[in-house]
Amino acid sequence: MSKKTNLLKKAKKAVSVFWNGKPHEERRLGDLYLDKTGLYKHREWRGFKDTMYYFNMIWLYNYGNMVGDIVKYGGGLKALPLFLKGVWRYRWLGQTYLPVMHWYDRGLEGMRGQALRASAWHYRAMTSETIRQFMRMLAADQRLGGSKELYDRTPAHDETVWGGIFYPWRDRMDDVPLQMIPYFVTCHVNNHTVLNYIDAAQSIGLPGDPCPMCQAECGIFLQDDVPEYYPFVVTSNEACDGSVGTSVIQDWMMDRPLFAMPQPMQFDDPLVQEHCAKEIEECWKFIEEQSGMPMNMEELKKNLEEQNELQRFEWEKWEVAANTDYYPINGVAQALYRIYQSQDGNRKIWHETDKKVKKILEKCVEKKINSFPMTRHRVIAWSCAPLYYSHWCTWAYNCWGLNCIINMDSLMFNMTIRTDTYENMLKDMALYHEWAPMRRMAVGGMNHIFELWEYMEKFHCDMVMMYDQLQCKGMQGVHGLFEDEFRARDIHAIWMPHALPDKRTVSRSEIRGIINDYMTTIMHEKPLDPTLLEFDDSEGW
Amino acid sequence: MKSVLKALKILFFACTGLYLVLFLVFWFDLDGKALFYGVEPFLKNHYDKMKRKDPLEKVYKTDTPNYEYND
Repeated sequence: MSKKTNLLKKAKKAVSVFWNGKPHEERRLGDLYLDKTGLYKHREWRGFKDTMYYFNMIWLYNYGNMVGDIVKYGGGLKALPLFLKGVWRYRWLGQTYLPVMHWYDRGLEGMRGQALRASAWHYRAMTSETIRQFMRMLAADQRLGGSKELYDRTPAHDETVWGGIFYPWRDRMDDVPLQMIPYFVTCHVNNHTVLNYIDAAQSIGLPGDPCPMCQAECGIFLQDDVPEYYPFVVTSNEACDGSVGTSVIQDWMMDRPLFAMPQPMQFDDPLVQEHCAKEIEECWKFIEEQSGMPMNMEELKKNLEEQNELQRFEWEKWEVAANTDYYPINGVAQALYRIYQSQDGNRKIWHETDKKVKKILEKCVEKKINSFPMTRHRVIAWSCAPLYYSHWCTWAYNCWGLNCIINMDSLMFNMTIRTDTYENMLKDMALYHEWAPMRRMAVGGMNHIFELWEYMEKFHCDMVMMYDQLQCKGMQGVHGLFEDEFRARDIHAIWMPHALPDKRTVSRSEIRGIINDYMTTIMHEKPLDPTLLEFDDSEGW
Repeated sequence: MKSVLKALKILFFACTGLYLVLFLVFWFDLDGKALFYGVEPFLKNHYDKMKRKDPLEKVYKTDTPNYEYND
């Protein structure tokens, strides 16, 4: 009798695992990895519905759409050989584009139900926009025999120059940032690629201690790995002193008409804002002069209003994230999508994605679906994140129940832009430009870096993941002040040391070790999934 | 009519077969393994051997116009 009961229980359990997947504490996700590589012995069984969703709507759908997007954005089937030429010529393209589905795997590990769906749509949008950008680069690339006409209509800019500066020409030209794909995206998708560029900068005798982002961006040019797709360029100081040095080397290598539009530090000063507004107007004159095309103010206004729609939905998302348990987007999808979208500016793909996510969000709120039921702590991540381990929050939730609700980079562009008068529009555009990544909070002065306390309260967070970019001189300068404040305010904060894109300085495994130590020795908590505590993914993408 | 049905049957089995093969590729992460052990080392080797310009040979021209638009 007891044997029969046991068998029945086992059968019931097997059916439940087949249909629903294992409960969180029984998943043993760490057992799925092949040592060192981060590859899977087999992918995760998430229950029938979610595994099928992952296979059909994420894996197959995205592989299919990756080819589809190449054809769509490259102007038809002729784009396929052009893409292959690009893969053969540019390291950042070949080494990064191909393992993109593993980037999804890492970010979406352990996700179920609506969290899996909503987060995956964010990833899809970033993939599609990335393909759009590099196909435009390749189609205009004079080195690969690209179209001269497209070349003339593809201005370039630093990745931290907001795409909105080019809105008055979006009906005739298409601006493509210089480093967004060759540098920024590569670090997240395949962290091996960027190391070549960091080493390239040091190989010509440049020092190794500045920010590795500056080194990598410089190295791409030194390796002659930037497509020849642009007739002129708009740069900024990328909001740090190291990047000013990068700009000098980039200017040397690019040898093209260049307009510099640095983001000032004292952006609260009205005189500085006035100066910045003037600089935007000067930049527009430069673009008109270089392209021979006059501005289209209607196009500018249209794009700004569409961008405001994106911002309004972002506010809706924040509202749900801050005040309920029903937010269905995981930490890494939230962070990457938001910084990509807000920096890139208005694009069709963001609207399409927001529409899909809005449906999911509304469903979660209406039906009170908690997508992260194992949450033990609501975490806010502050300062600049490790690009090679942006998916740490997925791991932290699976292993410890640390749910990263919001992060600093998401909160940077917290504004809509008025379009009622030219003066208001220009004033707001100047402020948006000034609130660039890194400048807005990280190196934007004491008032702004300490906005943490306000947002922590607003988002009801009880823990801070404090990024510690070891080679950022600006942030190192306020390290002690934060320590004092954390102590004075009795806040649990975990310092996460890293070197932005360079995994060799602090490895992913070391980062996990620091979080593990804090959670065991300070919080006295036990892991939800002990197989995730220690594993070696040192050679993984 | 018969030949159409036969063609549809073949198509159905071919699609089902392809779907199952793709599921196996997905399940055992064969795409990841092929890329990690095959494609990436091959491409890396190619990129490492590529001849590149010596950046230091390029002259840094500083005589380009200074774009000033102040009235």
